[in-house]
Amino acid sequence: MNSKERIKRIFSKEKVDRVACFSGMGNVTVEGLKRYDYAFYEIHLDAEKMANAACTSYELYGFECAIAPFDLGIEAEVLGAEMNFYTHKGKEDIVYPTVRKKAIEDPGDLSVPEGITEKGRVPVVLEALDIMQRKVGDDVPVATYILGPYTLAGQIMDLEKLLKMSFKKPDEINALLSSLADFLVELGNIYFDAGIDYLTVREMGAPTDVLSPRMFRNLILPHLKEVFSGIKKPSVLHICGDTNIIVELMWESGATAISVEQKNDVAKTREKLGDEAIIFGNIDPFGTLVQGSPDDIRGAVKAAIDGGVDSVWPGCDIWPAVPKENMIAYVKAVEEFGKRE
Amino acid sequence: MVDEEKRKDILERLKKGVVEFDEDMVREAAQEALDVGMDALDAIMNGLVAGMEEVGELFDKGEYFVPEVLMCADALYAGLDILKPHVKKEDIKVSGQVVIGVVEGDVHDIGKNLVKMMFEVAGFEVIDLGKDVPLEKFVEESLNTKADIVALSAMMTTTMLGMPKVIEMIREKNPNAKILIGGAPVSKESAEKWGADGWAPDATNAVKEAINMVKGLKKEVMGEE
Repeated sequence: MNSKERIKRIFSKEKVDRVACFSGMGNVTVEGLKRYDYAFYEIHLDAEKMANAACTSYELYGFECAIAPFDLGIEAEVLGAEMNFYTHKGKEDIVYPTVRKKAIEDPGDLSVPEGITEKGRVPVVLEALDIMQRKVGDDVPVATYILGPYTLAGQIMDLEKLLKMSFKKPDEINALLSSLADFLVELGNIYFDAGIDYLTVREMGAPTDVLSPRMFRNLILPHLKEVFSGIKKPSVLHICGDTNIIVELMWESGATAISVEQKNDVAKTREKLGDEAIIFGNIDPFGTLVQGSPDDIRGAVKAAIDGGVDSVWPGCDIWPAVPKENMIAYVKAVEEFGKRE
Repeated sequence: MVDEEKRKDILERLKKGVVEFDEDMVREAAQEALDVGMDALDAIMNGLVAGMEEVGELFDKGEYFVPEVLMCADALYAGLDILKPHVKKEDIKVSGQVVIGVVEGDVHDIGKNLVKMMFEVAGFEVIDLGKDVPLEKFVEESLNTKADIVALSAMMTTTMLGMPKVIEMIREKNPNAKILIGGAPVSKESAEKWGADGWAPDATNAVKEAINMVKGLKKEVMGEE
């Protein structure tokens, strides 16, 4: 059973030989960049470099997927935001692109362009996904991600204003989030049509330490449901932060699987959601993967598997500076502890 | 001398206005404080800041979340704008300049803005460098302004790693400056390892920490025990 087949089965709850070690988010490493002598900023802007970099964690470590892009600005750019790619930085600097100029002042200003396959860096991502499928697509799944509506809203308008308006003018924010959900469904399905094997929706702008669970239920969840009912499957909902009190709502969103980070107690999550749910998680991408020892990583992987994850996922993008020996230990530990009868 | 009952009434309304993020209530009470000749610093510290302390408790208890705290901060500012020009210079026991900003690669500035508010309340002159600030800029500005305090914020693990570089550069050129670091991924261990003078534990705790620092400064400003 190769990785592609294994992960396909995991998404449909079929029997597998072992849990998989993969992700729905960025996982390029400094070692991967070195292999092609790329600077970090280059891989956001050029399809071939993006694709090459995206395949390196599989090629170097046997990490079981290839994911592009690496930043969170694709959608915001299409909607008119300006990005900073830090192209003045050197090869040793890892600075993720950020939004330099927001797209809208007020929720009512949103205008979604026609023909989004041609807009911003969408063509770059589509070409990269195509190259990745030809390069490694027989062995591992090739995938990408979109933002959740609320997270995207925070990328295109002032975050402080968004948070306050969520409270004071929920109707205006609801209308904005619905339009963004429609846009995200369109984009997500463009990616599926380009041949991806699954799609992750990253709604990390709504962790429960920022917004109340009540607001999550009333303002965030309805629009996540719009997204998941509109996009093809398999899909994953990833939310970071302390998600223990909203896991039922996450599962209710309609995603094929949910992904949680290290602050989530996966054993409890499994208990709450039952055997039906597909749960991915919950390795700390910095504290464990970068700062931990190979033994720490083995311990964390074992705990996640004992807790009942269907596959081991890092809680966020894998941080590029992860040491080589840690990546090796990580993939090995999943192979060792993840065996199924 | 203001009637004690009147004073209590105004302080109560300032406090309530902040907690219930009612900017109009705060403005009216602040104006009344001036009209009846109340001490402006008294109104700020025992009215506005006392309200923010309660907000901190509500936040701790999980009754308030970030949007509520931001609205409370707006209400506090509404009162501060009215009261601050009337604070007697000789009443301010802390003084100095603070250079504050969010490190390069990071555009999350909510925590930074709340910490900035705290410094402003306490009477510091704040030089706000904004967000996504190149590391060298912190050093430059701390020298240009002879800042007593340099406060760095980062909300992402990836950008936090710029902090030790800034600390090292500032220590070299401006050894007397106090350096505070804060933000989601910052731990006590990192702060100690990098030689920072203070730190704010994590993500939304920047909010909590800002309020705690207000409390500490309030004691200092008002000479309370």
